[in-house]
Amino acid sequence: MAQAEPSPRDPALPGKSSGAPEAENPGVRIETQGLGRRFGPHVALENLSLTVEPGESFGLLGANGAGKTTFIRLLTGFLLPSSGRVRVDGLSPSDRARQVQARIGYVPETPRLYPELRVRAFLGFAAGLRGLSGGARRQAVSETLTRFRLESVERRLIGHLSKGYRQRVSLAQAFLHGPGLLIVDEPTSGLDPLQREEIREVLAGLAGHCTLLLCTHDLDEARRLTTRSAVLRRGSLVALGETAALLGGANPLALFHAGEADEVASP
Amino acid sequence: MTAFRALVRKECAVLFASPIAYAVLTTVTVLTSILFFEHLRLYNQQLFLYASSNMGGFDSDTIPDYINLRDTVFYPVMEQLGLTLLLPIPLLTMRVFARERAHGTDELLLTSGVSPATVVAAKFSVTYGFVLLMMAVSFVYPAGAIAQGGLGLSHLLSVFIGLTLLGTGIASIGLVCSALTQSQVLAAAATVGLAYLFYDFGWAHAFLGPEAAGLFDALALHDHFARFAEGVVSLTDFAYFAALALAAGGLVRSALEWRRLSG
Repeated sequence: MAQAEPSPRDPALPGKSSGAPEAENPGVRIETQGLGRRFGPHVALENLSLTVEPGESFGLLGANGAGKTTFIRLLTGFLLPSSGRVRVDGLSPSDRARQVQARIGYVPETPRLYPELRVRAFLGFAAGLRGLSGGARRQAVSETLTRFRLESVERRLIGHLSKGYRQRVSLAQAFLHGPGLLIVDEPTSGLDPLQREEIREVLAGLAGHCTLLLCTHDLDEARRLTTRSAVLRRGSLVALGETAALLGGANPLALFHAGEADEVASP
Repeated sequence: MTAFRALVRKECAVLFASPIAYAVLTTVTVLTSILFFEHLRLYNQQLFLYASSNMGGFDSDTIPDYINLRDTVFYPVMEQLGLTLLLPIPLLTMRVFARERAHGTDELLLTSGVSPATVVAAKFSVTYGFVLLMMAVSFVYPAGAIAQGGLGLSHLLSVFIGLTLLGTGIASIGLVCSALTQSQVLAAAATVGLAYLFYDFGWAHAFLGPEAAGLFDALALHDHFARFAEGVVSLTDFAYFAALALAAGGLVRSALEWRRLSG
């Protein structure tokens, strides 16, 4: 008989009531200079220079296709840059991908999960990939299940979970090794309002425990979760500054569209 | 090593959560049984004919030497089983890399601090392990009967090793095809085609000179398997299958690395 799925609206939220344990790494610094990436003739990212300080909650804003995901993939070492350089904690993801990836937790827009695995088994697998074994792995998995309020579904197949729970599992796998940099790509895309609110509270609870890079085109999310933001448009940086100031104008959406935003802010 | 173990456990869990694994195991076992019992039936018919009263009976020397369990049953079954592997193994390998790419989980693997070589080693190990399991299960009938027929344990072992290596050779081709596409169907179709091509280059003799055709023969899966089937265990044949596995692993690793450049 199918097990009833618990309400996604649990009374206590991860990182809030449970009190997220202090991450071992308080955060890492991101630095890019003239970073660019082309796919054949298409320019996905061009001449991007910015710095994100350790422990900062930074927003990367832009419409679909602005280059946000390409930027993330360059940070994680999944892609190599065509030009410029990027440093994460002083290391180049191109040359020292393994070391950089050890410092990063990454939550893609669409959860990259294995529907055939149960939640606990998947987190055990993710911990194993991060080099945790034996008691350390069991402890990390148990703590993460508690922190992200996943105990009630730990024996469920991931394929049977709701989208909100899958996103939480995706967040949990990214955070279980205590990364210095948590990269979250469109975390609430496609979720219902309750699930969206819950994921935002999870992220708010994690802020301060690591550097948070949040990619989104949801302006409310950026206002609430980030202190500083950059806006990308067609692969170029068009605005950089305090999130409240950037998005405080009468028409912040103008930032996303060509020809209207250049006077709003400058990089 | 921890990451390798985690990957192996995950691969096993995903593999056995899929009905394909059980379908492949069942298909190979059933086909082996049918092949074996069909050849055994023909062998018995021949024996019966020769043993009929007007031909002198079982003790008569009218039964030719070539009618024996080894030549009439075992070798043909092994030969056909080798060909039979060309269909189920691509079904097994098609999902290994293609599905990761189609579902985006390759990004999870390749951004979690694990080297592509570790991912490749784990996936190849599990696939080869499954081939070993498949051969062990399908080998029970022929092995049991032929052991009774006096083929000898060392010869049986040689044939088993040969069949398993042949299976890993086909799997190596399949894993390369799976790494080059995100379409499982395309991966399976390409594997069947390529494995069939590599199985036996006999056709090359019709187009090429003897030296060039001989070179192709040296690359053929069947020629290296055939010696094991005859009970000849040669280091050259081991080296051939090991080289095939290493080349396939290297190609798959390069394909994963290539994604960093190509996107």
